[in-house]
Amino acid sequence: MSRRRAVALSAASTIIVLAALAALFWAAPGSPQVRHTFFSPHDMWQALLGNPRKGYYSVGSALWLNIRMFVCAEVLILIFALVLAVVRQSTGPVMFPLRALATVYVDLFRGVPLILVIFAIGFGLPALSLTFVSTQSAAVYGVAALVLSYSAYVCEVYRAGLNSVHQSQVAAARSLGLSQWTALRHVLLPQAIRTIIPPLLNDFISLQKDTALVGILGAIEANKAAEIYSDTVFNYSSYTVAAILFLILTIPLARFTDHLIARDRRRRLAGVLP
Amino acid sequence: MAGCSSIAKNTTAGGKSSCSHSGLQADLYQRGVLTVATDKPAYPPWFENNNPANGKGYESAVAYAVASQLGFKRSQVRWTYEPFNDSYAPGPKKFDFDINEVSVTPQRAQAVSFSISYYADQQALVALKGTPIVTKHTPADLKGYVFGDQVGTTSLAFINASIQPTHTPKVFETLNDAKQALQTHQIAALVADTPTAQYISSSEIPHSVMVGQFPSTGAHFGLLFHKGDPLVTCVNKALTTLTSNGTLHKLAEKYLQIYLSVPVIKP
Repeated sequence: MSRRRAVALSAASTIIVLAALAALFWAAPGSPQVRHTFFSPHDMWQALLGNPRKGYYSVGSALWLNIRMFVCAEVLILIFALVLAVVRQSTGPVMFPLRALATVYVDLFRGVPLILVIFAIGFGLPALSLTFVSTQSAAVYGVAALVLSYSAYVCEVYRAGLNSVHQSQVAAARSLGLSQWTALRHVLLPQAIRTIIPPLLNDFISLQKDTALVGILGAIEANKAAEIYSDTVFNYSSYTVAAILFLILTIPLARFTDHLIARDRRRRLAGVLP
Repeated sequence: MAGCSSIAKNTTAGGKSSCSHSGLQADLYQRGVLTVATDKPAYPPWFENNNPANGKGYESAVAYAVASQLGFKRSQVRWTYEPFNDSYAPGPKKFDFDINEVSVTPQRAQAVSFSISYYADQQALVALKGTPIVTKHTPADLKGYVFGDQVGTTSLAFINASIQPTHTPKVFETLNDAKQALQTHQIAALVADTPTAQYISSSEIPHSVMVGQFPSTGAHFGLLFHKGDPLVTCVNKALTTLTSNGTLHKLAEKYLQIYLSVPVIKP
């Protein structure tokens, strides 16, 4: 089959399947109700703008809280997870207690669902009535919970990166007389991090969505603002707006990740690829 | 249409031809049974012991009173669970009506149908004893506090429209989260309808007090039906009867204690 015919056939079948799905959606008996409840342009616009006196907030403005939360969280996660990973990769008996602690930490925070961590931190810490710790805002507790939980995952990503660097690199560094710490800092880490940038960006995209969970602490972030609108007016279109806004945030980052992967592949396989 | 209420046959467009027990069977979710929905947990004083079927609590009692007016025996009333967020979803409902302290607003009435009022609510404040808001709550003072409320109640609109605080209020998923926030000093006061506020301050949060209630804004609760449900006509007739024969008033006295004097404060 010629190339042009193959492309035409696959394009035609894609269009037919998509058209069939759209027709199914449009022709379903409940379709007008669903279109009004989920995709009403008037409600989407109202939810985007907000109107506190009527009892709901702007989903667009609330997104700014999500953005601040995930930027702060990501910076802290990258640092803390690196510390955890280096501790876990350490050898030698002196580091054993810290190594064991790091392993327990990772197991604990990968095992407990994020929403429970947010709940425990956001309602538990204030209940302790300590002077500084118990008087923070919901967003601060939310960021703390996100950092604790995501650092466990990102630590494992760092470790995968560190383990993927060929042993010969470590051997060469040691044979040059570099100490373990210097070898780590100047030889291992740069190579490791280059490899793991795509999975790190993947976790970052996931983090952006998980900031929505902080709404259970009362913080008015985008998803919470959407819920407030929806419960006040009895229309779910605000959730559609929130979803679209999150897509606008994450899709450019996803395309950028693809670009980085392709560029890295081109560089590594420079002599091999056509 | 004036004078229609005394006529058995109601011939207005979309109205029911007969509200007799046999006449409304065709409109029921399940024949022979009145299916009533509410949320979990079912809070006092609207329900008691988280068990809507025991007939205690204002909303439980009202539901059974309406059922009895429509000719259902107690054993013919079935309770089902419907989270608040789902109750206005499009598509067929899994109940005949939902009773869940739902305030009637014109916007909400575009998505569902409401009965006439079974309770006119006012907003009230609950705070911890000894905190500033208990003594300082002039309209100007109120603007400086952080308020909390439950999502889906009309308390948030009330806070923003009438109190107009400088700090954004906090909105919680459940009343329990809001109560927790009050106890840990994350909010200065909880805003809820008067009966809920009264119950919280007298029984649920130690060292709390109901600071006062705000003047009525005309808000009221209605029973929630799917849009265009013909059953609404019959239920409205039942509620009108229950109001005029004093049953709703007696139930409010019994469960809502609204005739204990509660100071009214200005927003």
